[in-house]
Amino acid sequence: MPNQNGSVFGLTILSPIIDDERVTPSHDLQIRRYLATLPTGERSPFAIAPGTHLARLVVMDDVIYVGAPACEEHLKSKYLVFETNCDSDLPAYIAGLAEYVPQHLDAVWSHCVGYPGAADRAALIAYMQKCQIDTTFFFAAVNNKTVPEALRALQTQRAVTDFIVRHQGMAKTNPARLQAEFMRFAAELKAKPIPPAGAGRHDAETSRPIKTGGHNE
Amino acid sequence: MLKRRVRSRLAVTMSRLNETDIQGFVLRGYNLPLARYVFLHFADASRAVAFIRELLPMITTGQRWDGGKPQSTVNIGFTHRGMVALELPDATLLTFPVEFQQGMKKRAEILGDTGLNAPERWDEVWRDGQVHAWVGINALSAEALEACCSAVLAAIEETQGGTVLFTQDAAAVMVDGKPTTREHFGFTDGFGNPDYLGIARKSQPGQGKLMPDGSWAPLATGELLLGYADEAGELPVAPVPHILASNGTFMVYRKLHQNVATFRKYLDDYAPMYAGGREKLAAKFIGRWRDGTPLELSPDAPDFALTQDPARSTNFTYGADAAGTRCPIGAHIRRVHPRDAFGFQGRLINRRRITRRGLPYGPVAAEGVPASDADDRGVIFMALNASISRQFEFVQQQWIEYGNDSHLGNDKDGLIGNHDGKGKFVIQGDRTPANPPFVCAHLPNFVELRGGDYFFLPSITALGMIAMGLVDPR
Repeated sequence: MPNQNGSVFGLTILSPIIDDERVTPSHDLQIRRYLATLPTGERSPFAIAPGTHLARLVVMDDVIYVGAPACEEHLKSKYLVFETNCDSDLPAYIAGLAEYVPQHLDAVWSHCVGYPGAADRAALIAYMQKCQIDTTFFFAAVNNKTVPEALRALQTQRAVTDFIVRHQGMAKTNPARLQAEFMRFAAELKAKPIPPAGAGRHDAETSRPIKTGGHNE
Repeated sequence: MLKRRVRSRLAVTMSRLNETDIQGFVLRGYNLPLARYVFLHFADASRAVAFIRELLPMITTGQRWDGGKPQSTVNIGFTHRGMVALELPDATLLTFPVEFQQGMKKRAEILGDTGLNAPERWDEVWRDGQVHAWVGINALSAEALEACCSAVLAAIEETQGGTVLFTQDAAAVMVDGKPTTREHFGFTDGFGNPDYLGIARKSQPGQGKLMPDGSWAPLATGELLLGYADEAGELPVAPVPHILASNGTFMVYRKLHQNVATFRKYLDDYAPMYAGGREKLAAKFIGRWRDGTPLELSPDAPDFALTQDPARSTNFTYGADAAGTRCPIGAHIRRVHPRDAFGFQGRLINRRRITRRGLPYGPVAAEGVPASDADDRGVIFMALNASISRQFEFVQQQWIEYGNDSHLGNDKDGLIGNHDGKGKFVIQGDRTPANPPFVCAHLPNFVELRGGDYFFLPSITALGMIAMGLVDPR
C-alpha cells in the first residue's frame, strides 16, 4: 500500500501556491511567515486535531539540479508540501483538521491555487484528494499503534519506571505491601486520562534550535 | 581468508599516508604519562607568526618512533579566532565549517551544555573567547616536561608571539609507581579508538568498522583527516586552499570535572538495593568492569586476562544482547560506540566515530581515600574528527544527551549526562538473582563541563604556510 504502513497512513499533499506578482509579500513568503510562527507542543494544530504522529509543512520553491554539467530546469509552480503520518485515511484525517483547526488550514492554504476553504468539508476533501500524491516508501516511527495508544504507552512506561524507583527492594522487605501498592497504582493508572499530544516538550514555548544538520551529514 | 583479501586490496588502493606531514598527536596516542596544555592569545599577527616559525622545528610529527619514544612531544592547534588573529585571508577564514567558526561556547544549546554545564559556569579562560591557540606538550618525565615547556615558553618570549593565558596540567593516574589508563572514577579507559585506512597502528578487532562477515576493517581516512575520502566517499568539508586543510583535523577540547564524591556516594546509596552489588552497579554505568573487562563478554565478573588480550578486549557486538541484560542499552560505551546495536550491520555509526586523546587532571583519590567534589579533578577530553558537527556534536547531542536512537526516550548517558538530579538510568536484567533489572533514579551530574573550545590542527605543511604567510586561497 503506497500510503499505508501497518495501521499508520502516510499522506503526501502538494498544493500549488498562487503566483501573483501584484501581491507583496508574495503568497509563498506569507506561508513561510505563518509556518515560522506556528506553535509547537500542546498548542500545535497537529496536537489539537486528532491522529497526527508526525507532520511537516514545507514550501518548495523549485528543484535544483546538482551536478555537472549544470542543467537548468524548473517546476511549473511553487508548491506547499504537506506530509504526515496519521491514524486515518485522507477524508477522515482532513475532516479532523477542518473540525479542530480550520483557522490554521485557511491561513495556510488560502495562499494555494483552488483552495475552497475549510468550511465546505466535501469541497476541502475533494481538493486535498486532487493534490494528493502517493507517498510510496515512507518511514513510520510507530507502525501499529494509534496516537492515543502511543501516548498511553509512553505514560505507562513513565509511570511504571517511577513506581519501580519508589519501590525498589520492597519485594524482599515487604512483599505484601508491594503487591497492595502495585494494585492501587495499576488501578490509578488505568483511570488516568490519556495525556494530550505534544505534552512534555521542554522547548514548546521557547526557541526552536537547529538540532543537527549541515553539509555532508 | 576473506580478511586477508580485503587487506591486500586496500594495500593496493591506499598507500601509506605521509606521516611526516601529519601532527603526531593526530596519528597516535602518545601513551606518555604527563602533559601540559598551554593556551595562548595572539595580540600581533606578525609576532605570532614568528612564534609559529620558531616552534615549527619542535612540532612532533607522525613519523614512527623506530629509535624509541622521545622524551617529550609538542603539537599545536588554533581556534577560529586564533586564525583570525593570525590574519589568514578572509577568503580562507570564511570557508571553515560553521560550527568551528562559532566555537564550542556558541554551540552550547546544541550540545546540551546548559544548566550546570552552561558557559556561564565555565572557567574564566573559556568564557571570553580569548583563547587563540593550544600548545600540547606530552612528556615521559617531569624533567622532560619542564625542559620542553621552557623551550616553548622561550620561543614565545623571544618572539613576543603571544600571551600565555592559562596552562593545564594533566597526568596519567599512577598505581604502584606505574602510569595507568585509569580515570578518577576508577575505570580503565582508552580502549576504543578507531582504526583508519593508511594509518599504521597496532590494530585490533572492534576498533574500526564492522563488516558484513563480522570482521572489522579500518574506517575511511577522511573520517579523521581532511583531504581524504570519508565513509560516504566524499571529501570532508574543509577550508581552502586544499593544502591548508589536507592532513589536518579538528580537535574538540573539553575540561570535564568529575564529582568523585558524588559518584561514590551514589553507588553507596543505590548498591544496597541492587542485588548485583556495588562493583557490578558501577560496571553497568560504563559497560566495562573497573579493570576494563567488557560486560558484554564477561557479565558476571571482571576478567583481567581478557583486558590484556587485544584479540578480545574490544572484539564484541551487541546483536546477541538486544535486551541489554549483559551490557545495559544505556551503558556509556554502548551509547557512544553502538557497534551493531542499531542494526544494518553497524553501518549507521561509521560516520559518527571520533578519536579520543586526553588524560586525567587533578589529585588522585584512590578508592577508600576521601574525595571532595570541590577538588579540581577530572579528565581533559580531546576528540579528533574531520567534521565536528557530524561526528563529535552528533554523538554528544544524540547519544549522550538524548536516548531516542537507543529507544531510551529522553534518558541521557548515566555517567556523563547533564542530569541535574533528574536523570534516570535503566539497567536491564534477567531472572538470575545477581542480575536483576534495576532503575537508577535522581541522577546528579557526576561530570560537569568546565570549558573548552574547537581547534584546528593543521598539517606540518600548512603550519609552514601559516608561518611564512603563504596561505593563498586563490
